[in-house]
Amino acid sequence: MQRWTSDPLAVPRDAAAPFLHADLEFEDLEHDGPSFVVRLYLNRPGGAEEAEAGHFSVFGHGECWGDLGHCDVPTTARAFDRPHPLTPINITVDVTDALAALPEAEEVTVTALAQSLEADRQAEPLRFKRLTLVTYE
Amino acid sequence: MANQVPTTVAGRMTLHHRRSVGKLTAPQLRDLRRAFKAAMAIEDDRGFWYFAGWHGIPFAWCEHHTELFLPWHRAYLYYFELALHAQVPGVSLPWWDWTTSGHIPRAYTVKTANGSQNPLFARKLHVYRSHTSDPVGDREPGAAPVPPLPYKSRWDRAMRATSFTEFSQRIEAIHDDVHVWVGGIMSSIDTAAYDPLFYAHHVMIDRAWRIWQHRNPGALPRHGLLDVALRPNGITVRQVLDVKQLGYDYAGTASHAAGPTA
Repeated sequence: MQRWTSDPLAVPRDAAAPFLHADLEFEDLEHDGPSFVVRLYLNRPGGAEEAEAGHFSVFGHGECWGDLGHCDVPTTARAFDRPHPLTPINITVDVTDALAALPEAEEVTVTALAQSLEADRQAEPLRFKRLTLVTYE
Repeated sequence: MANQVPTTVAGRMTLHHRRSVGKLTAPQLRDLRRAFKAAMAIEDDRGFWYFAGWHGIPFAWCEHHTELFLPWHRAYLYYFELALHAQVPGVSLPWWDWTTSGHIPRAYTVKTANGSQNPLFARKLHVYRSHTSDPVGDREPGAAPVPPLPYKSRWDRAMRATSFTEFSQRIEAIHDDVHVWVGGIMSSIDTAAYDPLFYAHHVMIDRAWRIWQHRNPGALPRHGLLDVALRPNGITVRQVLDVKQLGYDYAGTASHAAGPTA
């Protein structure tokens, strides 16, 4: 099981315009290995099943069955190319209820517990470039 | 309720209805098994193994986590169903309703049916044009740490989406969870379509889009996608928007009566 905790993310509060909706956005998330499940917690670095803020599954591609270089994502795209199947993806998770349950918090940490379906092959499946907490008024 | 404007389908196409696997009659289930068995006996590009290869090994033409997720899989099911029709005319792919059921349908879990191997039970991974077949591990329903089925409340939330993109993202997230929940070869993109259960799961996803389209008439994928050609046959997104144009629809029930010229 991989455990990752973010740096604190600010939660700007405006009593005149409370948020209606909150999302966590994972950017450039890799999905080139076995499938995995990520459970998310706000301000709970230890996790706690009853306090799960959300989760997502990544339906992974499994192992590369091609020759050397087959699964390398091209760094440039030619005209008319479809994106390479292993191009990193963005995933959005609705955490509205979990954030609303922390009405006093001015910042939150996000803890992700990631479990691969083939943990012996991939101990740390969660790989991404950036996490953003977005609230909507 | 006043009648809607009637829809027409060009040509002499007989509309067929996909049904819940739980509501198939014994003859309908027998036909489904017969169609899969016949398709699995074909090694060329009319057979099950060829179509399984569209999604994962070896062709990997599928679309995931893109706005083409729903259109591509609709086209895929359409062509696969045509391949089944070639074996057993009139057969339809059923859906697995994981909004009401917490289990894999029995039709797909029994190892034998009607005195022979049940072709809906995943047995082997035979890559198109290869000369080998690998036995596959059992499904492991519920073993992965995703929420237990059924997924009714999440389905309802997806149905409340007001744009195609939002709906597609919500339903694909549920789709991913179901794949992972099933386990075995269903839990990997490369191998999932070698499990016959894959098609019942994706018919449910396609049905979700159909129902959402009913509720949101005119809500289309963004304009720039409509003329995108889907691999490998080049059918476009626009051409898969209307299931009736593809010759099928989804039925709770369907009763037929012969017409005067039958």
